[in-house]
Amino acid sequence: MSTKRRRSIFEIISEYFENSEEWTERFGEALIEKPSWDYRACTMEPLRNIMVTPTEAIVTADLPYAEENTVRVKPLSKDTIEILAKMKQKIRFDDFGITHYKGEFQTLHCQTRIPVRVYMDKMELRFKKGILEIHLPRKHEHGIPIE
Amino acid sequence: MSQEIKIIERKEISPDTVMLFGFPDVGLVGVIAASHLITELNLSEVAYMDSRLLPPLIVLHQGLPHSPIRVFGNHDVLLAVSETAISADTIYPIMHALIDWGKNRDVKTMISMSGIPIQDRQEIEKSEVFAAASSPEMLKTVQDKGVQVLQEGYMVGPQAIMMQYCAKAGVPAIALLAQCFFNYPDPEAAAELLKELANVTEIKVDISKLLEKGEEIRLRARDVMRRTQQEMSKMKKTQEYDIPLYVS
Repeated sequence: MSTKRRRSIFEIISEYFENSEEWTERFGEALIEKPSWDYRACTMEPLRNIMVTPTEAIVTADLPYAEENTVRVKPLSKDTIEILAKMKQKIRFDDFGITHYKGEFQTLHCQTRIPVRVYMDKMELRFKKGILEIHLPRKHEHGIPIE
Repeated sequence: MSQEIKIIERKEISPDTVMLFGFPDVGLVGVIAASHLITELNLSEVAYMDSRLLPPLIVLHQGLPHSPIRVFGNHDVLLAVSETAISADTIYPIMHALIDWGKNRDVKTMISMSGIPIQDRQEIEKSEVFAAASSPEMLKTVQDKGVQVLQEGYMVGPQAIMMQYCAKAGVPAIALLAQCFFNYPDPEAAAELLKELANVTEIKVDISKLLEKGEEIRLRARDVMRRTQQEMSKMKKTQEYDIPLYVS
């Protein structure tokens, strides 16, 4: 007979805080308001979207001014990708009539978490009309069969 | 008109105009089309909305404060436009106030400019434009001009309220909807909508500059699109993808 060790209250609390931290990190991106640009890194954040189908996760990103041959997608971890693209021209705040901020931007950059398990090494990219499509085949966990 | 909302006129309003609406929605089609019309027709601000229902913000243009919801116009056209996403909680009174105001100023037709989201929009070369109308007579008018009718489905957002309220108030109204991205600014869809607007009305503008500036518009409109997405989510905008169940 196997013996199951009872967890102490400290272990339970510790696990709770670890889960909370993970949750904060995971959803912080969506909850924290931040500008869509970073003048130190000279980057602008593109709009993006994720769709999950039974076979794949499809991430799209709107990359205006992007030079197609500079578009890069890098897996940062098992569930996060980074999108980078150089813009055809430098964009300054004054181009938008904004004079109270200074800065110029030449790169589109963002990181995105994928909500399901995927094969990062089987990633496929398409770029059409300024929209980047990233296709990531899903890893299928074993489902529970109907008895 | 609602006590909570005032429309302050800055210029005399001509009667018998066509009143257009360009509000933040899918693909920002209406706002992009409105912005292009203001430039091309050289429309000036004729009225603005003042209300505590609006978010606590002003829009600064050349150092001067402006309401986020304004009406531009000339002798033939009035154009209501919002520069900020409108919250789902306030959209009813805002649309009702604008329609009541237009009705009192003897507007002859109201036209909402917006989009219909479609999947794989990037695969489509040319957006198709559909119409819905507030009455059978208006529907026949658009059909006679060769515009495709949005036969069945759900409509969510400012144009839905406009259709419903205009039908009830007996104001002739049309919603023009161009196929577009759900959550990316879509200047090409706005250009197709303006072509159809020219077909339905006498409001004709050159769209070449709009297409030339497409990338600039997409980059510039990211923040408004992001805020609009949040409001669309609250008003269950994705319901427009749903297949309706009709009980007859």
